[in-house]
Amino acid sequence: MGKKFFQTSIKDSLFTGLIALALFGPIVGLRTVAKNEVLEVHPKWFIVLIIVIVCTVGRFLTNLYVYNRDQKTGIQSSIGKSISNFLDTKGYQIALTAIIFSVIFPFLPFTDRYLMDIAIMMLTYIMLGWGLNIVIGLAGLLDLGYVAFYAVGAYSYALFAIHFGWSFWICLPIAGIFAAMFGVLLGFPVLRLRGDYLAIVTLAFGEMIRILLLNWYQLTKGPDGLTGIPRPSFFGLPFKSFPDEGEQTFHTFFGVEYDPMQRIIFLYYLILVLALITNLFTIKIRRLPIGRAWEALREDEIACKSLGVNPRNTKLTAFAIGAMFGGFAGSFFATRQAFISPESFTFIESAIIVAIVVLGGMGSQTGVVLATVFLIGLIEVFRDFESYRMIAFGGAMVLIMIFRPRGILATRKPTITLEKSSSK
Amino acid sequence: MIQKLLDVENLTMKFGGLVAIDNLSFSADKDKITSIIGPNGAGKTTVFNCLTGFYKATAGSMFLNKENERLNLRKFSDFKVAQKAGVARTFQNIRLFPQMSVLENLMVAQHNKLMDASGFTILGLFNSPSFVKKEKEAVEISKYWLDIIGLTHRADDDAGDLPYGDQRKLEIVRAMCINPYLLCLDEPAAGLNAKESAELNKLLLFIKNEKKTGILLIEHDMSVVMEISDHVVVLNYGKKIFQGSAKETKSSPEVIEAYLGTEE
Repeated sequence: MGKKFFQTSIKDSLFTGLIALALFGPIVGLRTVAKNEVLEVHPKWFIVLIIVIVCTVGRFLTNLYVYNRDQKTGIQSSIGKSISNFLDTKGYQIALTAIIFSVIFPFLPFTDRYLMDIAIMMLTYIMLGWGLNIVIGLAGLLDLGYVAFYAVGAYSYALFAIHFGWSFWICLPIAGIFAAMFGVLLGFPVLRLRGDYLAIVTLAFGEMIRILLLNWYQLTKGPDGLTGIPRPSFFGLPFKSFPDEGEQTFHTFFGVEYDPMQRIIFLYYLILVLALITNLFTIKIRRLPIGRAWEALREDEIACKSLGVNPRNTKLTAFAIGAMFGGFAGSFFATRQAFISPESFTFIESAIIVAIVVLGGMGSQTGVVLATVFLIGLIEVFRDFESYRMIAFGGAMVLIMIFRPRGILATRKPTITLEKSSSK
Repeated sequence: MIQKLLDVENLTMKFGGLVAIDNLSFSADKDKITSIIGPNGAGKTTVFNCLTGFYKATAGSMFLNKENERLNLRKFSDFKVAQKAGVARTFQNIRLFPQMSVLENLMVAQHNKLMDASGFTILGLFNSPSFVKKEKEAVEISKYWLDIIGLTHRADDDAGDLPYGDQRKLEIVRAMCINPYLLCLDEPAAGLNAKESAELNKLLLFIKNEKKTGILLIEHDMSVVMEISDHVVVLNYGKKIFQGSAKETKSSPEVIEAYLGTEE
């Protein structure tokens, strides 16, 4: 590390400070406040100063320790390497630990209502991520409108449950089938599209469904949303504090005190089971001919055709099965919230799910979990700092892409190996 | 009369005003290697694309004579040529599934058979014994071919990590895994060194003699063409200018003219 290197680092970091000043000066420094119907400018130069100092010093330090190639063997990179190594080799152990942890989670001493709600939300995203992983990770079809299937599942569940009074376990498969049908509906026109073009059309499809829900007032109540969606019951035993005359409820049946947490814990296990089913199904189907055909299609569609693989059916099944799991997750969402409106199904939801799949490492099941915990957890941690949430979200994505460009868990295991099948 | 395996009659392919193939007729035999040669842009790959359903020929017919049926390949669209008629092909620039393992590549080639066995996935989800048995058979077939090209020890590695020559051979045996009647190879020797070319010749002769599969070969490498072809068809500007045995081709004035030009 010569003197020249030192000089360039200082120059570079001062320049970074200037950029920070130019950016944050107007954005953070000049705050307008409405006072007596007049806008007043309240400068906040102190905060700007701090930001600029942080940027300058931070840049200087990264120059010294991260971008300095001579020191690449330093502590920072060795930590990075060991984390990478750990992630690459211990995928299975991570998964097992995560499953055990999630099973005992509701009964841990520190678990409260707030944490349970976050856990349920995370599991919903994990399930959506696993569903979308079939479409994006395995079949390689970049679907930016996945939230549409989530919405179709939620609305079809809600409508059937409200109008026909059918129970959760009947409405769930119906919602799944409806979502799968919409998957095929989307799949047909986009069969010939790939990459960017496919992304645009699926994006439009997602918006179409949302706008349809918003405007079809007779059916969906438009922006008012659907209310009074029945809560799920524990195999026919509802969760109620004051049961009607002669009605069996969960707490009277089991002879325990009524506690609102009972329903939350039930919902938690419900989504856990649904998510694990999604996971098991995906792991299994990946090893079947159809799963291999999906991956082959992702790798090279022309080669697939030359081998007699039907690309149309293969793509449509990927869309349909991915959509079905989105529909399942949607019905869970509807029954948990008891209220749904088109506002819950905006593009940002699709974007988050796609981000989870891509950052997790395309096609990696455990990666989806890690990415969800990381991203959703971060959003939650920053809940109190309202306006910085999205910065943290974006920052997290950038960090993952810098350190794990192919996703958190990028290693792919073959679906069939010669050693295993010949030793049997 | 002994029927030829493939009869191409008056095949024409036009792209707008451009005539890529002009009234081409030729035939290929079962258990024979037929080479299609010609200068760059002569329409060789276009012939393949018509045969394998990637292009829809403008006119003409292509008959594939199996033991007891005669199929017009023009009636099949893209993937059905491989699935229903049993015509396999490889590509000029190798098209493996690079991020899938070598074995998986061969398993994808046996997709239709396995898909039926898996009862459209439903039986497969529950590990039905008939599916497990079929899958094992498919692995055995893959292993058989890997043994032949000597890649068994790399079966579980990513196909994209193989050396270039091995990728070529893998693509050929992958095509063989669909159990084809006719195998169309588009420049299999491109980019191979002398030793690899010799191995390739051996593999192709094995497929011809042991598997009784007809081979249609596009090739620029004359050492390959002259050594193993039973029959050579020479194209220039979409027209057939010569056909005959390898030896006759070498001394044909038309062919020399097409490749080297005429003396003024």
